[in-house]
Amino acid sequence: MQHATIEKSIPLMAILTLILVSIGGIVEIVPLFFIKSTIEKVDGMRPYTPLELKGRDIYIREGCYNCHSQMIRPFRDEAARYGHYSLAAESMYDHPFQWGSKRTGPDLARIGGKYSNEWHQAHMLKPQNVVPESVMPAYPWLQKAALKYDDVDVRMQALSKVGVPYSPEQIANAKQDLAAQAKAGGNDPGLAKRYGNKVPQDDFDGKPDQITELDALLAYLQMLGTLVDFSSYQAQTR
Amino acid sequence: MADNKGVETTGHQWDDDEGYPLQEFNNPLPKWWLYTFYATIIWSFIYWVLYPAWPSANGFTKGVLGWSMHTEFKEDMAAVQVQQKAFNDQMERLSLQEIAKDNKLLQYAISGGKAVFGDYCAPCHGTGGIGVKTGGFPTLADDDWLFGGNLETIHETISGGRVGQMPAHLKSAGGNFSDAQVDDLTSYVLSLTGQSKDAAANQRGDALFHGDAGCKGCHGDKGNGSLKGTVDGSPLPPIGAPNLTDAIWLYGGDRQTVRDSIAKGRSGKMPAWSKESKEVGKKLDPLALKQVTIYVHSLGGGQ
Repeated sequence: MQHATIEKSIPLMAILTLILVSIGGIVEIVPLFFIKSTIEKVDGMRPYTPLELKGRDIYIREGCYNCHSQMIRPFRDEAARYGHYSLAAESMYDHPFQWGSKRTGPDLARIGGKYSNEWHQAHMLKPQNVVPESVMPAYPWLQKAALKYDDVDVRMQALSKVGVPYSPEQIANAKQDLAAQAKAGGNDPGLAKRYGNKVPQDDFDGKPDQITELDALLAYLQMLGTLVDFSSYQAQTR
Repeated sequence: MADNKGVETTGHQWDDDEGYPLQEFNNPLPKWWLYTFYATIIWSFIYWVLYPAWPSANGFTKGVLGWSMHTEFKEDMAAVQVQQKAFNDQMERLSLQEIAKDNKLLQYAISGGKAVFGDYCAPCHGTGGIGVKTGGFPTLADDDWLFGGNLETIHETISGGRVGQMPAHLKSAGGNFSDAQVDDLTSYVLSLTGQSKDAAANQRGDALFHGDAGCKGCHGDKGNGSLKGTVDGSPLPPIGAPNLTDAIWLYGGDRQTVRDSIAKGRSGKMPAWSKESKEVGKKLDPLALKQVTIYVHSLGGGQ
């Protein structure tokens, strides 16, 4: 085929360009969907509870990922500071994943349970009150804004369409599970039955009579990286 | 005719009739650039052979060097283990007291504990334990302890965590007392550090403190806390009730804050860091617990 023929026909050039570019994608991306070693099998992963899911939405809304990564790399210094390196399986229910690409603040992949709710409350209100050298902006409105969660079951339905294994029972009980998780000293049997025993239940925001956006965000932060039991985890040799 | 300044053209020429033809110049890339580019292409072939590169149906090419990030990581971590083994074995075997007496081990524990403290403890207790602006997080660099400042107690506090047990006293917050009574109690507590001069209110608060409100059961007859105080001549249970007479305040010593503490109660929480704890979340291994205990003890207030 003459070069001039391709240059003079826009549709032909578009089709040939598309073929050429997609070769790179096919070679690099497609095998990942089929290779078993891409996502290591681990015990303990579960989909987010409704409250955590709303918290994750707030995390994305406020742009937390711009300054915080959720990806611990396999280096000694990172393991010493943050814990075991992140596994692909730990973000398999994330749509989209929150690995991030920049660490102005620390990595949050294993922030769960590291600091108390009281600390998080003080920190969100004004980070410099607890960490004087911090450059993080304050998020005081989270503790004031009531959490709107009438759409949480619909969001879970949407996620189940892209492969998150929410059961019909989990979706049907979404709203009451959400409210139960935000109760102080909570020990809701339904929540434990549907999501297992690694669900932090508490009055996260320090306002017992209200479910605020801070409740949701802290429920999410307090479970990050806590699900996989690394005492029983054996790294694949690869 | 157009002046092409001696640049080689590809021979294409358009719109010749105006006298200024459009020409396609061919400016070759600098030689150094071109050869560097060829070199990178050659390198990519070498890389494919040496390192993990191509995905396949059920795995990927491993490369002849057998390098993998995870193996490198494991080797790195193992090397550190070997380096620190002599110290770590001793740290594991010896008690806190014994470690504190061995100068070399003490230095090792303090520098390791400092790193642990910086990441896990400093957010609440401040760098070096100097405290933070927000109330509720104790300063560790002073000698005013809630549960005790010896090595064993510090270790216990860090391992198992602590929860504040100040109950609410105001009726609307679940307590048994009226607004006026809470005001009186506030006055009395403030009078212990000379901040309240209202003798009548102080006296009414005094009666409540030592009577119906039961404050003395935790803070002691003299209000000097569960560590130093006594009630009716006997020692108090170690429940972390602060000394109210030393003008060191956990939540703040102004009238409003003290009133809030009495009215609504306080239940500040120190997380548990031992792996034996059932609390969800990141934990510290026994070695790190010992190191950070010794570091906190060394901050100035250790007993």
